[in-house]
Amino acid sequence: MSDIAVGTSKPVSKPKPRWTTDVIYCNLSYLMMVLPGATWLIFFAYLPMPGIIMAFKDYRLQKPPEDYWIQNRFIYSLIESPWVGWDNFQYLILPTNLNNTILFVRNTVFYNLMFMVVGLVFSIALAVIIYELTNRFLAKLYHSIFFLPFFISWVVVAYVVYALANQTGIINTILSSWSMEPIEIYKEKTYWPYIFLFANLWKYTGNGSILYLAIITGIDRQLYEAAAIDGANKWQQFWNITFPQLIPTIVLLQILAVGRIFASDFDLFYALPAGSVMLRDVSTTIDVYVFNMLRSTVPLGYPAAVSLVQSVIGFVLILVTNYVVRKTRPDLALF
Amino acid sequence: MKLLPIKTKPARDMLAISPATNLALNILMLICVALTLAPFYVIVIASVTSEASLIQNGYRLWPEEFSLSAYTYLFTEGSIILIAYKNTIISTLAGTVLTLVLVMLYAYPLSRNNFRFSTFFTFFAFFTMLFGGGLVSYYMVMRQILHIQNTMWALFLPSSFSAFWVFVLRTYIKTNVPEELIEAARIDGASEWRTLFQIVIPLSVPGLATVALFSAIGIWNNFFNVLLLVDKVELYNLQYTIYSTLNNIRFLLQNADKMQGLVNLSELPTQTFRMAMAVVTIGPIVLAYPFFQRYFIRGLTIGAIKG
Repeated sequence: MSDIAVGTSKPVSKPKPRWTTDVIYCNLSYLMMVLPGATWLIFFAYLPMPGIIMAFKDYRLQKPPEDYWIQNRFIYSLIESPWVGWDNFQYLILPTNLNNTILFVRNTVFYNLMFMVVGLVFSIALAVIIYELTNRFLAKLYHSIFFLPFFISWVVVAYVVYALANQTGIINTILSSWSMEPIEIYKEKTYWPYIFLFANLWKYTGNGSILYLAIITGIDRQLYEAAAIDGANKWQQFWNITFPQLIPTIVLLQILAVGRIFASDFDLFYALPAGSVMLRDVSTTIDVYVFNMLRSTVPLGYPAAVSLVQSVIGFVLILVTNYVVRKTRPDLALF
Repeated sequence: MKLLPIKTKPARDMLAISPATNLALNILMLICVALTLAPFYVIVIASVTSEASLIQNGYRLWPEEFSLSAYTYLFTEGSIILIAYKNTIISTLAGTVLTLVLVMLYAYPLSRNNFRFSTFFTFFAFFTMLFGGGLVSYYMVMRQILHIQNTMWALFLPSSFSAFWVFVLRTYIKTNVPEELIEAARIDGASEWRTLFQIVIPLSVPGLATVALFSAIGIWNNFFNVLLLVDKVELYNLQYTIYSTLNNIRFLLQNADKMQGLVNLSELPTQTFRMAMAVVTIGPIVLAYPFFQRYFIRGLTIGAIKG
């Protein structure tokens, strides 16, 4: 899904035409077209970027004095708050906070790795099975059903979890009819990694398999016929023909996933536990942590510091993975 | 007696899986289908169970007693859900139209070789996919500079453009709109705007439909921006309304013993009512799904062409 070409087109070999009236007029039209989108990017993507310096400041929101050159509380406070160097970052590794910080980072990375690996296996398996089914109508029908969850928000999934597993939910009704102890899902941490994994698979497997299915469908059938004549079974055909063809896409999607390894699906981790404090240790990822700090009374420099570390690591990771890929398989590199 | 044409069994495809394997895989797929649809089933069944039987017997796979009272209540007195519906529909429509305009206008020049600043604007958009200012400054900019908190804008404006869709659409235009056609239009004296509206847009409808679809779903399901930027109940969208209801009730029920006398539990929205809220939230998506799913598949694969 993310296999997009971002690199600009190679300069054409012929020299560029000079700035004649036509060329200027044409480029002016193009600039006018780009303008609304560029404005959006400036306001919603670039304007927050200078705000990263909050991570190095003792930021307090204050009203600017009457004679200040800009009458905006945020900008005034951003400029005039005192610099504190790395103090905000040190707060995160204070003995009292270190455990939490490590825990939340570990949650984020652990869940992401788990989703990446399990999601990859399931998506490819699903694509192969759908492709192999003899009845094409049924295969299409199954596939259509599998990517319906992609459109359902995590908030609604939170309702499903609640209906299944609250004190009187379906699971507990069944358990009590077998005279077993009811489970209290909003108080018990151990279930949640599985709930998150299952929910994630439920929502994204069908969607993840589409690209793989498109590639498998495009593989020349003669390759398989030749392999079958040589006596290769389905398993060998998969590893020697299908899988190598999937590698480019797998690599690309994993690069993007690695770049996002410190980011998380906020809605999933925030909505599903429905605010239960007892699940904090398993449901808090970096994004949730930043949000919770933003909503609490701690100085804004702390969440800003976490956010900055997250952005910078994500940025570096995507550059590094892309660099490695470009060195080994230049055709697969993102840019 | 009419002779039936003799059916000759076609030679079995040497690559086809054996009937036994096929059956096994079909059974496996049916189990997966059941698991995929189970969540929908669970909330729909809970929403049509009568409240009394839900309290008495808990949630069941099959209701002891049917009742549609939750839905009638939802659409008569349940004003919060009607307001939320109105907000969701308005923001989805406005946001989708805005996304289409912004993304198309940005993507078309980038697809043209004669746009001199193409490199700059490509990077300008691409960089936002790599790096961001972080949640805290985003929050401050939204609230202190753009002042979109507690307005209808907060429901769709922050999610109505995306560099990712620009690149998908640019690739789509490059591969589906013949260069010669655009050249011909220019030679005939059409301006860039006219070329865009009369040639490029009509030929890009499938690509645009995909962008519209994803944008609409994204805004319909928008939860985070409402959580962050909206504090007024009359501006809540569906997702946030049902989230806050679930959250409040779970909290109250779990702490009911500590709050004896403080809250009257019987005054809370009933369980069936809440499940009915979840059902009407996903209802339009599920109903429209058979019609838009082909655009969905195309949307995920058009970006795959490296241009």
